[in-house]
Amino acid sequence: MSRLVAALSQLMERALVRYWKWRAPVPTPVWEWKTSLADNVQQQMNLIMPLADTTAVGRAKAVQMVAANIDELFTGLNNIGTVHSARFDLIGDNLCIITVYDGDHEVYIRDFISVFGSVFDAMIKVVADPPPSPCEDFPADFVKWVSTHEAFQVPGDLSLMFPGEQNLLNLSRDLILLLDDNPNVQIGRFSGYPALSVAQLRLAAGIEW
Amino acid sequence: MTVTETPDLADVQGNILRGYHKPFVRHLVLTVARRELAASWLLDATGRDPVTTHQVTNAEPWDEKPPTCLNVSVTPAGLAALGVAKPAIESFPAEFVAGMASRATKIGDVGESAPSNWRPEWRRPDELHVVVTVHADRAEQREDVAARFLAYRGGGTFRELARLDGQSFLGGLVHFGYRDSIAQPHFEGIRNPANRPDHQPLVEVGAALLGYPTPLENVRFELPQPSVLGRNGTFNAFRVLEQRVEAFEDFLTSAAETLLASPMADEVLPAGIEREWVPAVSRGDAMRELVAAKVLGRWRNGVPLALSPHSPTPREPVGEERINDFGYQPDPDGTRCPIASHIRRCNPRDARIVQRSANHTRRIVRRGIPYGPPYDPQRPDGVERGLLGSFLCASLAVQFESIQYDWMNLGLLDPRITGSNDVVVGNNDARFSSFRLPVGASAIELRGFPRFVETRGGAYLFLPSLRALRHLGEIAA
Repeated sequence: MSRLVAALSQLMERALVRYWKWRAPVPTPVWEWKTSLADNVQQQMNLIMPLADTTAVGRAKAVQMVAANIDELFTGLNNIGTVHSARFDLIGDNLCIITVYDGDHEVYIRDFISVFGSVFDAMIKVVADPPPSPCEDFPADFVKWVSTHEAFQVPGDLSLMFPGEQNLLNLSRDLILLLDDNPNVQIGRFSGYPALSVAQLRLAAGIEW
Repeated sequence: MTVTETPDLADVQGNILRGYHKPFVRHLVLTVARRELAASWLLDATGRDPVTTHQVTNAEPWDEKPPTCLNVSVTPAGLAALGVAKPAIESFPAEFVAGMASRATKIGDVGESAPSNWRPEWRRPDELHVVVTVHADRAEQREDVAARFLAYRGGGTFRELARLDGQSFLGGLVHFGYRDSIAQPHFEGIRNPANRPDHQPLVEVGAALLGYPTPLENVRFELPQPSVLGRNGTFNAFRVLEQRVEAFEDFLTSAAETLLASPMADEVLPAGIEREWVPAVSRGDAMRELVAAKVLGRWRNGVPLALSPHSPTPREPVGEERINDFGYQPDPDGTRCPIASHIRRCNPRDARIVQRSANHTRRIVRRGIPYGPPYDPQRPDGVERGLLGSFLCASLAVQFESIQYDWMNLGLLDPRITGSNDVVVGNNDARFSSFRLPVGASAIELRGFPRFVETRGGAYLFLPSLRALRHLGEIAA
C-alpha cells in the first residue's frame, strides 16, 4: 500500500513540475563573473556526458577510448597551465570530466579545444548528444554545449542563483525546475588550501610552474 | 605545403589591418530612423554612388592618403533594425549578442565604471544601432563629412544619439603623457609600411578578420550566417575611457617619494644617472618618470624599459627601428620591465606565462584617440578627458575579454603578480591595490593607488565587410 502511495505521489510530483514549467519557467542561471581573486581561482568544471551506448560493451568502449588517449590528455592539461586537477570517470551511464582550474570558464573551455580538440572529437563519439564536430571549427557551439552538460554549483544561498526571483518562497520551486532540466549539480566542495592559483602553489612549493 | 589565406582588401573595412593615423576623428552614435533610407545609404556608400556619397573606406593600399575616411559598424540591435532575421543575429558570438554591458564584471567595468553609470547613449542598447566614424586630416573636413553624412537624402536617415570627437596630440601622446600605439600586430600576408619592424611572430589574419585560420592552433572562429554577413568582418570593443590624469600624477609623486626613501633607492635608479638624461632632471623628477615607465613598460617617450632600463634617453639612442623590437626572455624576473607592467600584461611576447600556449593568441589591434583638452598641471580644470578606444579582434571573448579578465586584472599570467591589477587601466581599489616592482633579487610593493581609468560607456560593435554592408543594404531595402 505504502509503495502505491509513493508511486502515486511521484506521479503527481511529475505532473506538478510539468505544470510549473509551463506556468512559470525558470531561466537557466547565467555565469556570474566576480572580480576578486578568491572567486576566480580553483573553479570547477564538472562535465557530465551521457553515453550513447550504455551497455557493458558501450561502456567498455568508452573506457578504452579515454585510456588510449590519457597521455595526450594529461600533456594537454599541463600545457593549459591553469589546471589544478582533472579526473576522467565513468559514473553510472555518464562519462565525466571533473576538473579544477583557474580563471575564466570560457577561456578554459576554449583552451581545451585548442590543446586537445582532436582527442575531444574522438571522445564525444561515444556521447549521446555530441556537439558539432570537429570542435575546432565550432568553438562557440562547443562552449554552449559544455555549459549545458555541466553539473552546476548550487550556492548555499539559493537567491544568488536566481537573482530575478522576487518571491523567496519560490526558491525551492525554482531549484526543482532547474534540476528537472539538468539533473547534475555540485552541492559543495571543500578545499584544504587557500584560494591560490595553481602556479602560485607550484611556485610556493618550489616546482616549475 | 601551407597556403596562406589572404583576404580581398577591397572587401575589408579600413583601419583594421592598417591604421589611418589621422589626427581628427568623430564617432557618430546613431539610431536607424528610416530603414529604407539607411538601406539606400549603405548601397550608395559601398559603390552605387561614389560621386555624391562618401564611400566606406576599404583596406586597399593607397598611393596617396585620402583626406578623409569613413567607416561603419553595427550592434545586434542595429542588425535587427536593418532587417536581419533573428536566427542570423543569434548566429553571432554570444558575447556580441549579449553586449558589452552584460559582460561588465568580466572586463572590469564595476563600481563607478559600471554600466549603470555610463553616459546615456550607452545605456540604451535598443536604440544604439550604428556607429559611423569619420577620420580626417583637418577639423573642418571632419565637420563637413559628418554633416554631409547626416544630411543624406535631406536628413532623417539616422537619429544622432551622441557625437564623440577625438583629436590626436603632438607626438602621438595620450593624456597620461605616454606616446601611444607603438606596438601593433603584423599580419601574415599584409604589408603595412607604418608597422615598425620587430621580431614578433606574424599574426594569422584570422586574429582580426572572420573566416581565416587563427593563432589558436586549428581553430577558426565561427562565421555568423549567412557567411556573406560574417566573412571579412571584425569586432570592435569600443570604449569611452576617462583618464584621471591628476590622480595619476599624484600617484607618481607619492610612489617616487616612497622609492626615494627606500634603502633600495639607488638600486631602483642608479645614483646620479638622471644627470645623464637629456635634458638632465632632478632626482625626484627622475624617480617619478621611472615609476611612470615601470607601471607601463615604456618611458613616456616610448623607449622600452626592456632596451633602456635606466634612462628615457640612453647614450645609444633607441631609434624607431628598434622601439618595438624586443622580447622578455632576457628579463625573466622583470627587473628591467616589470611583469606587472601594462605592456607586458597586454602582450607577454616571448615571456614564460602560466597559460603556456597562449602567448601570441590574444593579439588585438588598438586604435585610440584622446578626447578632451590636454592636461595642464598648472591649471587643474576638472574637465573630463580620456581616450576613445577601439579594440579590434575576431573574437571578443577569446582576445579582448581574456586580456581584460585574467591578464590586465587578476594577473593570472604569472604567479608573482597574481591577485594584482594593471596600474594604468586596471580595476583598482586603493584598499587592495599593489604593484610589484622587482629590484635585483628582491621587490618593492607599491600600494594604495586608486583606479585611474573609468569606463564612461562602450559597446560591442561589428565592422562588416563591404560585401556584407551591401547585403545589409539589400535586405533592408
